[in-house]
Amino acid sequence: MGASCPLEIEGLSKRYGQHQAVDGVALSVAEGETLALLGPSGCGKTTVLQSIAGFVTPDAGDIRLGGESLLPIPPEGRGTAMLFQHYALFPHMSVGGNVGFGLRMARVPKAEARRRVEEALRLVRIEALASRRPAQLSGGQRQRVALARALVIEPRLLLLDEPLGALDQNLREEMQTELRKLQRRLGLTTVMVTHDQHEAIVLSDKIAVMRNGRIEQAGTPLEIHDHPGSHYVATFTGVENLLPATRSSTDIVEIAGTPIAGLHAPQGTTDALTVAIRASAVGMRAAGAKPSGLLGTIVFTQVLGAAIRYEVALPGALLVRVDEARRGTAIWEPGTAVVLDLPADRCTVLTGNA
Amino acid sequence: MRRPTGLLLAFPAILVVILLAAVFASVVSVSLLQADPGGAVFHGPASLRNYTRLLGSADAWRSVSNTLRLSGIVTLICLVCGFPLARLLARASSARTRRMILFCLMATFFSGGVTRAYAWLIILGNRGLINQSLQALGLPSVALINNETGVVTAMLNFVLPFFVLTLFSALRTIPDTLESAARNLGASRARTFLHVTLPLSLPGVAASCFLCFALSLGAFLFPEMLGGGRVQVLATAIYDRIQTTYDVPSAAALAMLFLLLILCLLAVLGAARQVVTRRAT
Repeated sequence: MGASCPLEIEGLSKRYGQHQAVDGVALSVAEGETLALLGPSGCGKTTVLQSIAGFVTPDAGDIRLGGESLLPIPPEGRGTAMLFQHYALFPHMSVGGNVGFGLRMARVPKAEARRRVEEALRLVRIEALASRRPAQLSGGQRQRVALARALVIEPRLLLLDEPLGALDQNLREEMQTELRKLQRRLGLTTVMVTHDQHEAIVLSDKIAVMRNGRIEQAGTPLEIHDHPGSHYVATFTGVENLLPATRSSTDIVEIAGTPIAGLHAPQGTTDALTVAIRASAVGMRAAGAKPSGLLGTIVFTQVLGAAIRYEVALPGALLVRVDEARRGTAIWEPGTAVVLDLPADRCTVLTGNA
Repeated sequence: MRRPTGLLLAFPAILVVILLAAVFASVVSVSLLQADPGGAVFHGPASLRNYTRLLGSADAWRSVSNTLRLSGIVTLICLVCGFPLARLLARASSARTRRMILFCLMATFFSGGVTRAYAWLIILGNRGLINQSLQALGLPSVALINNETGVVTAMLNFVLPFFVLTLFSALRTIPDTLESAARNLGASRARTFLHVTLPLSLPGVAASCFLCFALSLGAFLFPEMLGGGRVQVLATAIYDRIQTTYDVPSAAALAMLFLLLILCLLAVLGAARQVVTRRAT
């Protein structure tokens, strides 16, 4: 496939009337890397994507692909291929016609175009559907056609707009894996937009969480997943535990009056802190005869399938959610006294209370 | 619907149908009779004489060809002017712009036909707005009424809103992401229009043209008022037969021929529309 290019975005801003949709966004995506713009609707992520594709003209800033500014180039000349949220397949053309559209526009000779269309259809495993109309396809098949249509033009940059949002759960997971494998194999620089944190994590190399037109936090999927940089990111990415905490005299973080070993409060911040930790990162063991540490009582259990979700009450009306991977079939009963273990390297200390 | 309530509910509709059928039957029966010269009385025996006479009449054929030609011209101008307007309306990003255009279009529905015809007489007349402006500029005046120009102008005013509104609702069903997708895949604006927008608009265009043509075929008021008796279409020819020669049976026969002609045409156009629609979906 075509030469993929690194993407750089600098000081990108766009205002619609009174609404500042994008406010000084800077990003860089290395060649072959996938960046996910993650955020709720209205955070500006789609405007960024549309600016890259050329459907929106930014008020300020620059977008460079392979070192060259895209802004003076009309959408058709940018060499970006977009996978639209609802696929945007041409209803009056067959699958083959849809996939071949970009090649026809580029006036690729007929024989070569036919070969490349076949190749693209094979890549997404729908070669048997070439003569069907989009209306005759299932959601997953349409998704594949849209992907083939984008890939066949050998884009310099692939843009995904909520790529899997319209699919049902099982199909979505299957397509996630397939899409990720394709990205790796083709080495395509990709920018995707999603409001689904899980999708962002499984499909990207880098995530930028957006809020009110700005980037709130950027990092690898694991960084974002394990160490949200703010309450907003923690809440949006579904961190199950945001525990009010305090600073001890030795700058160790305390939860419910119990110091957390190895967890230091950041310098020069207020005394009101919050510890963010995923339910799956919290350890739990039975309270022995002489228990020490973070002591609590199980008040609720729920079967998640691969794990069991426990809600553990700590002194001071604190509730900690703990997901324990199942070993055997034993499930602890509500009322059991337990000791919680919060590994310092899986905790993130945020300033202020949630 | 076997229950009597169903029949009861359908009763008003049945009544209307019976009434319409009766009127139609009276037109058919009158068309077979003969008129007394100079009087509004007609008598039997029933024959097809009116029809055979019409088929041999150059006047009748001229009004047929005038009707078709004028309707064709009006439809064509509607297409050329109405398509961009409907598209603008369907793609207007601000609701205010859309409401403005819609209001301007709808406003013509609020004024009656006669009012509009007089308005056009004032604008297009020999001492009308346009000719006075031309004279003020030292230019020769042009004849804009009592000819086809005037008739077509006023008919456009009548038909264009219907055309635009019909096409607008059809164009609105085409998602604009399709055009974005085409641009994204390397199609210029022109080729996007040619390969995506136009083919997808065809069913809507066909429906709008169909409506436009059908409305134009039956137009009476504007040819009568702005044609000044010099533009003879089928509707005015029928009217003249009744008003000037009191030949009601002959007028009825002409009306029947007109009806037959329209039915044939609409059948052909309808079939064409079906083909276009099927190809586009």
